[in-house]
Amino acid sequence: MDSAPTGLARSVAKGKGRKGSISPFRMTLIGLAGVIPVVIGAVLLFLVVYAWPAIRFNGIDFLLTKTWDLGNLYADPVPRHGVLAPIGATYGCLVFVAGTLASSFLALLVAVPISLGIAVFLAEGVKRVLRTPFAIVVELLAVVPSVVYGLWGIIVLVPIAAHIIAPVLAAVFPFIPFLAQAGGSGFGLLSSSLVLALMVIPVITITVFEALNRIPKEAKEAAYALGTTKFEMVFFTMLPMIRPAIIGAIILGLGRALGETMAVLMVSGGALNYMPTTLMSPISTMASFILSQLDSAEQDQSGLAVQSLAEIAIVLFVITVIVNIVARLMVRKGAGVSR
Amino acid sequence: MSDGTFAPRLTRAQFLKSVSLAAVGLALPGVVGAAQAAGLTILETGSSLLYPLFNLWVQGYSKIDPSLRITTQSTGSGTGIAQAIAGIAQIGASDAYMAGPQVKKNPTMLNIPLAISAQNIVYNLPGLNGSALQMSGPVLAGIYSGKITNWNDKAIAALNPGVALPNHTILPIHRTDGSGDTFIFTQYLSKSTPEWASSVAYGTTVSWPAVQGGIGAIGNPGMVQTTAQNPYSIAYVGVSFLAQVQAAGLGVSPLQNKAGKFVLPNPQTIVAAASGLIDSTPADQRISLIFADGEMAYPIINYEYAIVNAKQPNAALAKAIKGLLTWAIDPMGGSTGDYLSKVHFVALPDKIRMQSHARIATIAS
Repeated sequence: MDSAPTGLARSVAKGKGRKGSISPFRMTLIGLAGVIPVVIGAVLLFLVVYAWPAIRFNGIDFLLTKTWDLGNLYADPVPRHGVLAPIGATYGCLVFVAGTLASSFLALLVAVPISLGIAVFLAEGVKRVLRTPFAIVVELLAVVPSVVYGLWGIIVLVPIAAHIIAPVLAAVFPFIPFLAQAGGSGFGLLSSSLVLALMVIPVITITVFEALNRIPKEAKEAAYALGTTKFEMVFFTMLPMIRPAIIGAIILGLGRALGETMAVLMVSGGALNYMPTTLMSPISTMASFILSQLDSAEQDQSGLAVQSLAEIAIVLFVITVIVNIVARLMVRKGAGVSR
Repeated sequence: MSDGTFAPRLTRAQFLKSVSLAAVGLALPGVVGAAQAAGLTILETGSSLLYPLFNLWVQGYSKIDPSLRITTQSTGSGTGIAQAIAGIAQIGASDAYMAGPQVKKNPTMLNIPLAISAQNIVYNLPGLNGSALQMSGPVLAGIYSGKITNWNDKAIAALNPGVALPNHTILPIHRTDGSGDTFIFTQYLSKSTPEWASSVAYGTTVSWPAVQGGIGAIGNPGMVQTTAQNPYSIAYVGVSFLAQVQAAGLGVSPLQNKAGKFVLPNPQTIVAAASGLIDSTPADQRISLIFADGEMAYPIINYEYAIVNAKQPNAALAKAIKGLLTWAIDPMGGSTGDYLSKVHFVALPDKIRMQSHARIATIAS
């Protein structure tokens, strides 16, 4: 990755065919590459324009309010804050932001150590013959549709969370209120996080595994030559070398967790109007809430309900962008340290 | 696979001619459809409660009009209404009639009752699922607003003298997705309990009060599954899922009606509730059947509606929709016991059927 570009690579990187003129090939590539930022910009612009009445109506309270109430859709809407709104309508996304961040964070807390373990095992701990079958199984996990995870979550995971994990945690940590709630339904933060963790593990594992594979043999041999054990070699030589890749993999996984919709919707318990207080609390995430509420929102003739859902989408979008920027800064810093 | 053996090659002119013919066919489906009575497609979308019945109807109607293609989708009542208004679906299926402001904005939309449905209040109390625990609107409103939190609460005991109620937190289960079942359940709470009407009110989703132990579930299957998995829970489930409720061994509550009697949903109590409201049904047929008068009236029943635009893009389509809906409510056609009893629905009373016929007759191009 770090080798200096060869002569051929340098001319490709410059991308100029004959002197001065831009080749049609390069033009095409620029055009194709431009599609992505244009589409992202267009989506964000559409959302903001579409949600504008809701943004005006909700103001900054949107981010600070726990209540989501469509109001009375069976009476005529009345003007409020300069917008026609159903009587009693209140829109706030605090509960959904909290549910999204909490479930994604917990999912990573579970998934990252497991994924690193699997990746190291695949790269170093298993015979070459078995490596490919193992890797294929992990990759298969990544292509299972999320609704399948959701169904598995409802039938298998939720009862386990309610009848095994919750009582055990309550018995072992009776002094930590966050962990000590036994007797919930199983639908909620814990089940959502575990389902998300399962969906994130293959994403992180595959990325880290590939980075481990790219480490030159010489680096490992050098570590061994210094008298390290295999464990020391992995932890003090290999993993630090691929630190940017690990952070990048975690961000990929976080992106999947933040945006996951169907699987979370099926096991989250659909919290409305209250914040999660324990591991067993029901939650709602932004993406799953948009999906579950769209049908009812469409009955609002003022249009404000659907526009407020679009505003949630904007908030989700912004959070995702912030997370990505922070991650990029971390990767840059991490890269600086490891070299 | 050898080239030109079976299919003679088209000359350029022939090819252009066939393409332009195809284009005409695409552009003028009404003309072609009317001429050949073929290639017409009706899309039905919406209520998941009506969906199983509509699928049975599609099978039955295919024998009457084999050329008509009917696509059905279970998407939710709100989507059904919205797509019917937008013209994406020809028939929007809904458990709830259109809201007043919605009708005002879309005056050509018809609300046509097709059948009568009802809702079960189900519960999972170990040892008591066979004993038909009685419930009332105010007690259910108390449970769903967090004022009644324990099964041995004296309000529940008062409805069930002699039943040994467990000392355990109640887990009220509600629908997370938009649902006609939520609409009729919260309407029952609103009509029977003034405090509920003035705080939460009714809708296909409502702003559920935060209740310790409350659970949101997706769809009627999710409601049944969640109730079965969680002892000490209570839920509302559409009557077409009665078989699943019974298979899961859950209890079904007799509900207190306006006359103070406790009744279970069955054809007699559903008809009893509907018949009292026949004469007061307005011409546009948008009426709530919830909490009706009558000794035997079951308090949570509703019309299953077809939401249809009276102004269709062409005559052939209008004719096809009229034919299908007329057959569906015909007591000799789609409204025989064979069809309706499979989902525990009840056929429309004669006078309401005549009203529906009159509405169907106004569909035109």
